Amino acid sequence: MTILDPTRASHGHAPGIQAKRRKPYGQMATGTLIVAIAALFVWSQAANENLDWSSVGEFMFHPVIFKGIAVTLELSVFSMLISVVLAFGVALMCQSKNRLAAVVGRLYVWFFRGVPLLVQILIWFNLAVLFPKILGADTNQLISGFTAGLCALSLAESGYMAEIIRGGILSVSKGQTDAGLSIGLTRGQALRRIVLPQTIRVIIPPTGNQFIGLLKASSLVSAIGGSDLLTQTQLIYGQNFKIVPLLIVATAWYLILVSVASIGQYFLEQKFSPDGAATRRPFRELIRRNVLLRNHPDLPRKAVQP
Amino acid sequence: MVIDDVHKWLGKNHILRGVNMSVAPGEIVCVLGPSGSGKSTLLRCINGLEAVESGTVEVGGDRVGYKMHKGQLFEHTERESARMRRRIGMVFQHFNLFTHMTALENVSYGPRRVLGLSKAKAKEQGLDALGKVGLKDKAGSYPAQLSGGQQQRVAIARSLAMKPQVMLFDEPTSALDPELVGDVLQVMKRVAEEGMTMVVVTHEIGFAREVADRVIFMDEGRVIESGPAAQVLDNPSHERTANFLRHVR
Repeated sequence: MTILDPTRASHGHAPGIQAKRRKPYGQMATGTLIVAIAALFVWSQAANENLDWSSVGEFMFHPVIFKGIAVTLELSVFSMLISVVLAFGVALMCQSKNRLAAVVGRLYVWFFRGVPLLVQILIWFNLAVLFPKILGADTNQLISGFTAGLCALSLAESGYMAEIIRGGILSVSKGQTDAGLSIGLTRGQALRRIVLPQTIRVIIPPTGNQFIGLLKASSLVSAIGGSDLLTQTQLIYGQNFKIVPLLIVATAWYLILVSVASIGQYFLEQKFSPDGAATRRPFRELIRRNVLLRNHPDLPRKAVQP
Repeated sequence: MVIDDVHKWLGKNHILRGVNMSVAPGEIVCVLGPSGSGKSTLLRCINGLEAVESGTVEVGGDRVGYKMHKGQLFEHTERESARMRRRIGMVFQHFNLFTHMTALENVSYGPRRVLGLSKAKAKEQGLDALGKVGLKDKAGSYPAQLSGGQQQRVAIARSLAMKPQVMLFDEPTSALDPELVGDVLQVMKRVAEEGMTMVVVTHEIGFAREVADRVIFMDEGRVIESGPAAQVLDNPSHERTANFLRHVR
């Protein structure tokens, strides 16, 4: 005979239900299967001589790899920033009363979301074929692997961000604009000072996701030798043929970068949660709660009005 | 305030079909009528949130949405309509408080950014307005932390802080829980007693009877009946008014 809930019983509040517990055979079977497969996988790796762990250690902190990480970060951060600026413009165009602006905005989103990123990267890299000279400068001098990658990533990303921002603007109720107008703001002022600040809260979480996607997508730049993390990895294994250990190094670093970005995203989301104003907590408290995992009494929450 | 033969279409719907009314300074007018009769649209046309297709709306002697210049009528620029709207306060059915600002920020935003008062002066004016609606202690609260009734009172304070010539109320108590309606009506009564010119679209017959100088009954985009509260409410001369009042009671 087993007592199903020993904590309750030991507190003495209730006698507990005296019943025989059923054996979870299904769960036992799944568990065994998972452990078996995992063991098989680990054994296949550990026994594999092609997987040269000492080389992984050797190149994990190699300066060439570090240079690649720096370029990957630069590419991701700069193209994110550029794309957000572009996307705000495009999102406003899409919402514009000016039909031409709206159509151009839609076309922009259609094109840059529609063309595969790798194709966009190759087009930018081969721009010299189309325009041998830009503003009097030699295009091939101007467009390096990095700049081609930056342009392609920024523009492709701005297509997605424009849609996210447009969704954010639409999510702010029309009444907010009406109220802004009624106290004597112009339409432009109501948009800038009332609607857009409320949009930020809505678009922060998806923007975090986009950034993580961008971080990974930046590896496509290796196709044109953009000197990012993957390019540098390929550079090394092109010389010493230790392909798998170096791909493991790249994998590890991408996972680390994405993890750090995810943590950052988590904090941003907490800080800008949709009912953020009502539940805004000081940053110190966030750390206490989420990093140190200490509990504290919940602040009273009120439902947000429709 | 003079409204003369105003027509308004929304798409194919003829919402306002020739509305005529006038409101004297300091007068309190309650507008009653079934839903879809154009009451809310009328308010939105008065402060220029919606443009009218024909007829004129005048507030304080100035035409809303247009100006005369050398014998030619010009549409207002964005700036000119904004300047016009700041003289006309509006309180909405769903409060529409700025959710990213505290109560005090909501109330002092207009005086600071639109009227261009100093930060300290705007804050003082904001606190003053919050005091009038009895919510000085909620100055630091965000709208989501306030009850519906409190939110609506802050919204009234936001309009008051602009020191408007006219205040428009668009069903200010319709979205509230019944027990919160009284507080808001109390505040509106106080505003009325201070001599504000008010146009109130409402279903609160009791409020209309007690506070309104005049009651207007609208149906199908027209003013059907207009007169002193007691006369329209207790002795309606029109069948449709009588019918509506029977249903509301």
